[in-house]
Amino acid sequence: MPRTVLIVDDHARFRGLARRLLEAAGYTVVGEAGDGESALSAVCELRPQLVLLDIVLPDTDGFAVAERLAGHCAAPVVVLTSSREAADFGGRLVSSPARGFIHKDDLSSAALAAVAGEP
Amino acid sequence: MSRRLLVAVAVAGAAVTTAAGALVLFAHGFQPYGPAEKMAQVVTGAVWITTGLIAWQRRPSNRVGPLMTAVGFANLAHLLYWDAALPFTIGELISWWSIPLTVHLFLAFPSGRVSTRIERAFVAFLYAATVVLSFQSQLFWDPRGTDCPQCPRNLLLVNTDPGVWSVQSTTGDLVIVAILVTSVVLVVRRVRNSSGPTRRAMAPVLVTAAIAAILLGVVVVLDAAGTQTQGSAALWVSDVAYAAIPIAFLVGLLRTRLARSAVADLVVELGSLPPPGQLRDAIARCLGDPSLELLFWLPDSERYVDGAGNARDPEQAPGRAVTVLEHDDKRLAALVHDAALLDEPELLQGVGAAASLALENARLQAELRAQLAEVRASRARIVQAGDAERRRLERDLHDGAQQRLLGIRLALQLARGQIGDERAFTELLAEADREVVDALEELRALARGIHPAILTDEGLAPALDALARRASVPVAVTVCRGRHPAPVEAAAYFVAAEALANVAKHAHASRVAIELSRANGDVVIAVADDGIGGADTGGAGLRGLRDRVEALDGRLQVDSPPDGGTRVTAALPCA
Repeated sequence: MPRTVLIVDDHARFRGLARRLLEAAGYTVVGEAGDGESALSAVCELRPQLVLLDIVLPDTDGFAVAERLAGHCAAPVVVLTSSREAADFGGRLVSSPARGFIHKDDLSSAALAAVAGEP
Repeated sequence: MSRRLLVAVAVAGAAVTTAAGALVLFAHGFQPYGPAEKMAQVVTGAVWITTGLIAWQRRPSNRVGPLMTAVGFANLAHLLYWDAALPFTIGELISWWSIPLTVHLFLAFPSGRVSTRIERAFVAFLYAATVVLSFQSQLFWDPRGTDCPQCPRNLLLVNTDPGVWSVQSTTGDLVIVAILVTSVVLVVRRVRNSSGPTRRAMAPVLVTAAIAAILLGVVVVLDAAGTQTQGSAALWVSDVAYAAIPIAFLVGLLRTRLARSAVADLVVELGSLPPPGQLRDAIARCLGDPSLELLFWLPDSERYVDGAGNARDPEQAPGRAVTVLEHDDKRLAALVHDAALLDEPELLQGVGAAASLALENARLQAELRAQLAEVRASRARIVQAGDAERRRLERDLHDGAQQRLLGIRLALQLARGQIGDERAFTELLAEADREVVDALEELRALARGIHPAILTDEGLAPALDALARRASVPVAVTVCRGRHPAPVEAAAYFVAAEALANVAKHAHASRVAIELSRANGDVVIAVADDGIGGADTGGAGLRGLRDRVEALDGRLQVDSPPDGGTRVTAALPCA
């Protein structure tokens, strides 16, 4: 079961609150990243078991990051998240190698555990 | 004109004197040439000078006449070859000048100007080379010691070594051959690149010059083959052909005058007002310049457009010239045409006068097309601006209020897990409260950006005051009170808002003045800062403002000299 998490989101306040939410549920948040490139290097460096990955990023999008992580050295479990509806992303969610998608409105440790497995 | 005429007469007098002097000399006997050759030289020189003077008089502002006259004098220099050292030496020096003058003439014909940079450089080189070659040759050529034992003494001679002269002479010959080859290449290139009027003027010259060159070639070959050509028919025909060249120049130069009757044809042709495209064709035919461009002047926007209404800049390319056509001191159009036509200012203005009614008609049509094109472009920009605005709103909502609300939800979730821990619980509630306050402020700013409520409720003046209070630099607002139609108030408000946003982003200003006034039935809003100026007037923000202002038939003006601050003024009609 994944326990170590990397949070990727361009909004620092969201990252802070998500960190506290996940840590309260027993996850270990090993790092945060504000864009796709730093997310990729953080994964290599920190080797998290789980990446909570925002889809709308300033330099690229979460789908592209998920694709690259799938062939990555440590291939973590990727859970995509966004404040937009799943329907807004059409078939891209289905074809993505990510484990699943959680709408930001529904983000909780329980939702994360349901998608990625218990910590 | 009268002064030039005087100069022409004076030069003619000099020519006659020279010719008469030559005849006197003829009686004494020339040293290096036979009487028939001398006679041929006198005639040739006289023809060049006479035709040159006629050209000079008929086209006083054209250098072709003076150049032809000068070639004639250079040819007559050989008449100074008589048995006295001083005229002989001077004659030798002057005779060199027929080469650069003739090449210059060919390259400048018919406009009188050498138009391309490479041709100008070549002509300049030629004159410099002539000075060097003529003196260099005189310093080392001992005519009596080499090819002309009966010649007078060369006064400039410094070195009599025949070996040195042989090297100098061979080098000089090679330079002359190179000059002649380059000249031919440049003339051919010019003919190929030129349009109707130039070719038409050059045709007789080129034909005559080609015949003269071929005949001269025959003489040279006969000479080389050892045939005696002195006084031969070939030499005579060659001389006649050479003397015919200036006549061809004159014919070519004056030929464009025949085009004048074409103006009469144009008047008939334009009797029934043709569409703009055919007007250009009719004028092009009349001027004999198929490459002619006709551009119409739009006085309101102070620019030229083509017949289709597209903005165009009349450019001065090599060999091209621009003539502005006016009627009743009003600029109508511009012709971009072959520079050779500049010799015919009366023809160009005659065309302008004959076509003025058709031109005015075509100009109005072009203006209408330009306005239509502008309306189309502005409509497309308004749609694009609307789409861009929607995207911006979506992004603002997503990055702003939506993120705040998400934060509140996460904080509340966390708080629920902390109900037992009062301190942590209170902290999370306080954090959620801060998010709510921020979310409200962001929503307010967003709503104000969409349409400020104060503008609808209280009008333009209080809305401008509110805008000034929120600005990043001190803003002085001077307004005339009173309400105006909602679209006018909105346009004026957004002009001020965009100008202030630009001040904050780019201007480095220390203060701004907003002035709202009424003038000639217009509401005028002006925003002036004391910043660095040099604003990009083609930017999306200002273009959007311009569309908004012009949609109300208003005018937007941006003055932004470097280091001179920026002043944005919009005048909005308000009946």
